[in-house]
Amino acid sequence: MSDLSHPVPASPFRPAATEAPWLRITLTIAVVAILGVLLFAPLIAVFYEALREGVGASLATLANPESQSAIRLTLLVAAFAVPLNAVFGVAAAWLITKYSFRGKAILITLIDIPFSVSPVVAGLCIVLTFGANSWAGSWLVAHGLPVVFAVPGIVMASMFVTFPFVARELIPVMVEQGRAAEEAALTLGASGWRVFFTVTLPNIRWALLYGVLLCNARAMGEFGAVAVVSGKIRGLTATMPITIEMLYNEYSSVAAFTLAAVLALLALVTLALKTLLEWRYADQLAATHRH
Amino acid sequence: MLSLMVLLPIAGLLVQGFSAGIPAFLAAVNTPRTWAALFLSFRLSLVAALFNLVFGLVLAWVLVRYRFPFRKVLNAAVDLPFALPTAVAGIALTALYAPNGAFGHIAKDWGFKIAYTQWGILIALIFVGLPFVTRTVQPVIEEIAREVEEASATLGATRAYTLRRVIWPMLAPAALTGFALSLARAVGEYGSVIFIAGNIPLKTEIAPLLIVIKLEEYNEPGAAAIGIAMLVMSFGMLFVINAAQVLSRKRRGNV
Amino acid sequence: MQIEIDEISKEFGTTAALTPVSLSIPSGALVALLGPSGSGKTTLLRILGGLEFPTAGRVLFDGSDATRLTVQERRAGFVFQSYALFAHMTVFENIAYGLRARKRATRPPAAEIARRVTKLLDLIQLPDIGARYPSQLSGGQRQRVALARALAIEPRMLLLDEPFGALDARVRKDLRQGLRDIHDTTGLTTIFVTHDQDEAMELADLVVVMSMGRIEQIGRPQDIRARPASAFVRDFIGA
Repeated sequence: MSDLSHPVPASPFRPAATEAPWLRITLTIAVVAILGVLLFAPLIAVFYEALREGVGASLATLANPESQSAIRLTLLVAAFAVPLNAVFGVAAAWLITKYSFRGKAILITLIDIPFSVSPVVAGLCIVLTFGANSWAGSWLVAHGLPVVFAVPGIVMASMFVTFPFVARELIPVMVEQGRAAEEAALTLGASGWRVFFTVTLPNIRWALLYGVLLCNARAMGEFGAVAVVSGKIRGLTATMPITIEMLYNEYSSVAAFTLAAVLALLALVTLALKTLLEWRYADQLAATHRH
Repeated sequence: MLSLMVLLPIAGLLVQGFSAGIPAFLAAVNTPRTWAALFLSFRLSLVAALFNLVFGLVLAWVLVRYRFPFRKVLNAAVDLPFALPTAVAGIALTALYAPNGAFGHIAKDWGFKIAYTQWGILIALIFVGLPFVTRTVQPVIEEIAREVEEASATLGATRAYTLRRVIWPMLAPAALTGFALSLARAVGEYGSVIFIAGNIPLKTEIAPLLIVIKLEEYNEPGAAAIGIAMLVMSFGMLFVINAAQVLSRKRRGNV
Repeated sequence: MQIEIDEISKEFGTTAALTPVSLSIPSGALVALLGPSGSGKTTLLRILGGLEFPTAGRVLFDGSDATRLTVQERRAGFVFQSYALFAHMTVFENIAYGLRARKRATRPPAAEIARRVTKLLDLIQLPDIGARYPSQLSGGQRQRVALARALAIEPRMLLLDEPFGALDARVRKDLRQGLRDIHDTTGLTTIFVTHDQDEAMELADLVVVMSMGRIEQIGRPQDIRARPASAFVRDFIGA
């Protein structure tokens, strides 16, 4: 069987399963042009605006205390949210693919909820549940652990929003692999944890890394949910995206766009790594599909 | 633990929203400003999702079927709206479409204003929802056997007829899923919109922003009421789309 | 319809799939293109059907040049190895497809389409499966539906690519006779591709043995068996 590439014939006739050449060329040009305007122009705009007053000026804005604390806070939030979500994601995917139990369908739906709920509503939910006016919130504040307008709330909001990424990537891979290898390991006398670390984890490592990457990009960049729970306290609860908003609204354009450029670079690195992984991971998946 | 993380906050929302009783809830939602915001959010999201449905299908087709330089780069770039933080997208789009920006300037010469109008919101919503349809449809296009298209041609069907009667029915379920995801994303979108929207009450104020405003006014029940209204409307739309999909799957037997 | 293949060659990039090939097929014949994979038999079939275009040479249908005709204009009933049934359509809709796809001026009315589909379902001896989907059929049933779908357009010839390739041995035997019967009732010039010499010898009036893009021998089955023209044919038949 030939692959899916449809070679252009040497003769002036076209094969049955393609569009007319003029249509193909028109569509390709249209797609490239629209993507250029819609995707590439904003990306270029970020770097253009950041470097408007020269590299030195924009680097200098990164050194100001506001940007510094924003970067530190964002890294701190990601350092909590991403590993926690990686663990939860593996646990959820494991539960869903390896066991059958009551309420499994509900669990699958729950995992997807953050995708269909507005981040602002997610943030709102956290404020209402853990805010100073709520029962849980007042208890937490009384015990010296405020959630809303504090770092724990930001971590929670980031986790809520990025929750599905790891599990979503893992579930199809784990379904594909089935349980045979693990059962074999168990019959050979390996303990449950040993099976997990020696059989399951190596099999899912690329999918896991992929999910973690997406999770991280989203956690560092989350705005809506964090805007609601953080209270936007300068130097304390202002993450990078929140600081971008504050700087932008104060007309510190270069500072805002420089911080934005840092996040845009993170996004580009994420995309590049993701593409690399896809090539690698596609081989593995294709191999399992073929047999 | 997991369900706790997702369910507890939603329970909190419901408790707060209805804490003062149903009449108070209705009173909070039933104001011109709230209705205008909800209507604006859903209307523009629908338009953006429709654009993304059509463009996403064409984009997926071109990326899978055609060969041209930088195709792989373009393919990777489709995910940019997923990876780029919304606040970054928001200020970037504003910089482009504001009257003194690169595109806004051209629009101004033509007597047109994009940023700080509903057009600006629409562009932001199209941006954030762009990848969904393409990413759900792409694997389906890759799976289509070439013989099926050739069979259609040997039976005398024109290319357009083949695309309409053979290809589209194969792609429709995935396209609808992508459309629903794109719609849900647009309805809830906040970060990329607020910079470009201008946020004029009754005109360019989206529902998520209204929630933030209510919260800043310490009107928690009011915020909760709008949040619930949004949830109900989103789930309603998703329900309709899912039902349509189940129906179409039933119609074609257990394929 | 009489088919004339005149010095057809086909290159994919730098590899030659068909070195110039000539062949004359009398009207109403049942012809087998026999050869191992890579012999060019499927390429030749696809060129006849208009799915592939030759690098050089001509195809003549009843004496008139058909080389430049598009797939749609060829009106060749084509049965694919995978059958390529439309999974989202019922058997009825699959068979009616070619008629419904016609331009309004030549499209038969709905009642006429229904009548023709029913007649074709009778012809393939599966009168009761119109409402089913392809996924609910057995392999043998799918093959016959694909045949009925190809016949629905009132083709000028019938082209089949490994029509029995995807079936198990028992069903194969039954369906061979089925194809023979359909050929005899319709009187269509029928060309099928196969790598199975038993199949070719048992079913065809005329066998075309191919190898590496060339025709090794053309003849009636008994002649080929009695007098193989080359060492390759002798090996391939004897196997």
